[in-house]
Amino acid sequence: MVPRVAKAAVKGLIYFALLYLVPTLLISQVSGVAPQLTSGLGRILDVFIIVIVVFVVASELTSGTIFQHALNVGKAIILMVFFVVALDGGVLNLDIESIHLVADLRIVLVTLIVIDLIGLARNLLQAINFLSEKAEQQLPTPKPAG
Amino acid sequence: MKQAIRALGWAINILWIILILFAATVVYSAFQIRAWLDPPYTNALGNTLIVSLPFHFTNSGLYDISNLAFGTLIQDSNGVTMSNSTTVEPFIPKGVQADLVHNVSFSLTDMMSQGFSNLLFNDTQLDIDLSVRFVYARVLPLEISTNMTMPWGAPLYNLALGSFTVNPYNATHFRVTLPISFENHSFFGFSGNIRLELVDNGNRLLGSGNANLVGVSPQAPYSSVLDVLVSNPINIRTARLFFDTSAFSYGPVVIPLV
Repeated sequence: MVPRVAKAAVKGLIYFALLYLVPTLLISQVSGVAPQLTSGLGRILDVFIIVIVVFVVASELTSGTIFQHALNVGKAIILMVFFVVALDGGVLNLDIESIHLVADLRIVLVTLIVIDLIGLARNLLQAINFLSEKAEQQLPTPKPAG
Repeated sequence: MKQAIRALGWAINILWIILILFAATVVYSAFQIRAWLDPPYTNALGNTLIVSLPFHFTNSGLYDISNLAFGTLIQDSNGVTMSNSTTVEPFIPKGVQADLVHNVSFSLTDMMSQGFSNLLFNDTQLDIDLSVRFVYARVLPLEISTNMTMPWGAPLYNLALGSFTVNPYNATHFRVTLPISFENHSFFGFSGNIRLELVDNGNRLLGSGNANLVGVSPQAPYSSVLDVLVSNPINIRTARLFFDTSAFSYGPVVIPLV
């Protein structure tokens, strides 16, 4: 149990560092030009990091059980909903001082949803594979005749 | 089944790499685009004024720009559209600078017939919507727009006729002389012709005369005198002015004289 908790904590910290530091560096390059844009991006990034880190830690804590796969399926569904909400259905409207910017990012949104759907399919297959391996382990081992 | 799971895992990783690379290169390329405007210049074509806005677009990014449309929508203070113009450039490849001219046309004569006659005599503020639409990297439609106000100066601001003087002309007629003055607050100059009609209180025409409007400069006052021959100056009540200039045609402007 303790190694699993330690492993989950370390994994959570690594994901947090990767997901927080690199995007924060990119956003800081843009913040001088458009502070309103980056404040909105910062909030979206915070929610994204929280969702990913929580599910990574929970998945690690439940590794080796069916709950791990159930959590991964839940993570894929939540991320799909998150991307649709964060990208405003794919059409972003931004106001930077007196300038209004409209960006049609539906192709990006579709790509993100496709990635999540493939992830969802993989998680379902992993869950089915886990259950079938579990069932095979519980079957009595046939003894040789004679 | 494990092979299928592995293959899906690879597909996810490859798609994420492609998406992140694409997003990073698009953001980088967007910062390499430069756009700027040169000072505008005006031209007159018949009764139509054309304001030309030269602008330049340098695509130093990694992707092409397609379907670039630069648009202006000009409305008066009541929200009624005076001019709606769009300039389109179908394709700007990467590494290329496009030099374009956006023309905003005003037909003041058409505008007068649509009820914009107050713009001839009153200064006001015009609302201008500027927009730039284009497709970047062939898959990302973008639109940037802004709104501003622009002062409109009336070409016939403070139009007035002074007191008329009457002098004998011949045995049957008198020469009536009226001073005319106005201030051209607009950004364009014009020249042309003024016709003056004098009428009595029954709107019967007493006499008419023409005068040339020569070289009315922008942002400058103008004054002149108009002469009309009439047989009976006692009955003069109203003056009617008709303007036929290089920038607009309008009339009658009815001015009581008594």
